[in-house]
Amino acid sequence: MFMNSNLFEPGKSKSERTFVQSAVKQNIRFDGRKSNEFRDVKLTFGADWGTVALSMGDTKVLAQVSCDIGTPSSARGNEGTLHLNVDIKGVAFLDEVQATHDQRQLTLNSLLERTFRSSRCLDLESLCIATEQHVWCVRVDINVLNHDGNLYDASTIAALAALMHFRRPDVSFIEDEIRTYSERERELMPLLFLHYPVSVTYCVYKSSTQPLVDPTLLEENAADSIIVLSFNSYQELCTLNAGGTAPTNVRTIMQCAHGAARRSKALVQFIRKALELDAERREQPMQVFGLMDLLNETAPKLSFKYLMEEEAEVDHTPDRARVIEQKSDVEPMQLEEPVPQAQMQTPKKILAETTEDDIAWLPQEQPVDEATPTAAKPGKAKPNRAKNKGGKKQQSQTTKKQNDSDSEEEVTQIL
Amino acid sequence: MSANTSIVMPGERVTSVEDVAKGKRIILGPGLRRVDDKVVASKAGPLRHKEPNTFWVDSYQRRYVPARGDLIIGIVKARAGDMYRVDIGSADTASISYLAFEAATKKNRPDLNPGDLLYARVLNANADIEPELVCVNSNGKHGKLGVLQDGFFFKCSLNLGRLLLRDSCPALAAIKDELPYEIAVGVNGRIWVKAHSTRETVGLANAIMTLEHAGYAEIDKICGNLGSVLQA
Repeated sequence: MFMNSNLFEPGKSKSERTFVQSAVKQNIRFDGRKSNEFRDVKLTFGADWGTVALSMGDTKVLAQVSCDIGTPSSARGNEGTLHLNVDIKGVAFLDEVQATHDQRQLTLNSLLERTFRSSRCLDLESLCIATEQHVWCVRVDINVLNHDGNLYDASTIAALAALMHFRRPDVSFIEDEIRTYSERERELMPLLFLHYPVSVTYCVYKSSTQPLVDPTLLEENAADSIIVLSFNSYQELCTLNAGGTAPTNVRTIMQCAHGAARRSKALVQFIRKALELDAERREQPMQVFGLMDLLNETAPKLSFKYLMEEEAEVDHTPDRARVIEQKSDVEPMQLEEPVPQAQMQTPKKILAETTEDDIAWLPQEQPVDEATPTAAKPGKAKPNRAKNKGGKKQQSQTTKKQNDSDSEEEVTQIL
Repeated sequence: MSANTSIVMPGERVTSVEDVAKGKRIILGPGLRRVDDKVVASKAGPLRHKEPNTFWVDSYQRRYVPARGDLIIGIVKARAGDMYRVDIGSADTASISYLAFEAATKKNRPDLNPGDLLYARVLNANADIEPELVCVNSNGKHGKLGVLQDGFFFKCSLNLGRLLLRDSCPALAAIKDELPYEIAVGVNGRIWVKAHSTRETVGLANAIMTLEHAGYAEIDKICGNLGSVLQA
């Protein structure tokens, strides 16, 4: 299915748009989802470090990270560079959409720039080899293979997963000479992150107060406005992109922000889990899948629904888990909070769920992340980042260790 | 329509058709071409035959090539002088005159806006001229043609359109047992459906879209399950 499945773009005629509007009003979506339900996200890692194929329903994206040694900009001589590039040309609709296509590519590029570069999610200083002489230039290429809506989320998740998956070779700089070590000589190094941002997209319609999450292309084209929120795993806002003609009040945006923060956290957790599984698989020889397998879909897929379901059952019943093991499998569900498993939010959802409906959570949300989502600009994330930076030396090389401590941090914050 | 389906590839010599041609006069439809005294396929797909003597290749295709007399669904794009521009999924946009509607005069023009759906007939189709549509028959009556109101509209492959339109298609009859509905199928791979409620229309559209990848053989099997698709 790695082909452009709908050659003609849906949502271009009036009857489609009015129909979607009336369906939204009655809370009906074409694929039977609820308005706050996401499509399943599936990740496939390629043979090379930093190659990730992602599918969300029929939306398919391939991200590839590469790096080489270059010179830094004169303004930031001690920092490596991160370049993001989206290529949407793989999707060619036959109707007159060239203009909207270019527009799409621009918005997508700027969203990614803001999500990853402006929020400074990579520790670029760690990519410096020799100040003002040699730095690592990291490049993320995102290829859109099929567009069925919500390219924003698909590309940010794919980009983040690819960056987290990526390993660069180790280098030494002795007596004005760079030496790059091959994989055999020294182990490859993962990139260092300050935080992990992903975006969540909402569609707002004039006919309904309830925004739709994770829109398909039809829903996206029929929408009056589209809100894209990027949150990191600490639930800090990195990017807010709201446009269109539908009047959206603060409440709606806050509601979106609230959901997006939760979703982002779950997504980052999912990516980490997927990376762990991939690392396990790489231990065994003959288990690495190349690009052809990736595109033929013979490579194993890591599904969000599947992985996070386990998560909900295993990880978040820490004390009870042992007790439950002796009992039946149905028990944990009942003991646990009544989360519909299909919805696959992290159990943190439950904390919020009680307060979600009334306005009360608006101010209450603050303790979770030291700054209100709307107010939080990239600069505000300092407390966490400082913490992270400090810990970096101890956590030095293994990302896994770093990941663990991250999640611990988060847990304490929330509780 | 015979059940035996042999797949032909472009450039392949189709001897089975030639054999029939020895005995009687035959008609070669789309995808078949006569080269001297041989019959050669020009498209890939199953070879179809309709009694007594018509042959064609049912290739998978999404791009519509207009042909005179086709019933199609188009989207109004713009007004241009005394014409409307209509997107019918072909390489060129089609045009329809203000006067090509029932009871339309110079004073009494039809009220069409960009984005409206038209169920129309192709009047002229020529490689060098843009296709022309009409919404009336030769008696000046609109019949079933005209603007399609409400409902839902989607695009599909040309094959699905043809599949639904063939005489013995079991799909529409199977859906009929489940719920009352209206449908307009354009041979340009566009389908408009309408049922009583939004939920029913969604189910109906999804049911028809599931037929997209079905062959003539599987369709009977799928039609048995359409009821369950509609329930979902």
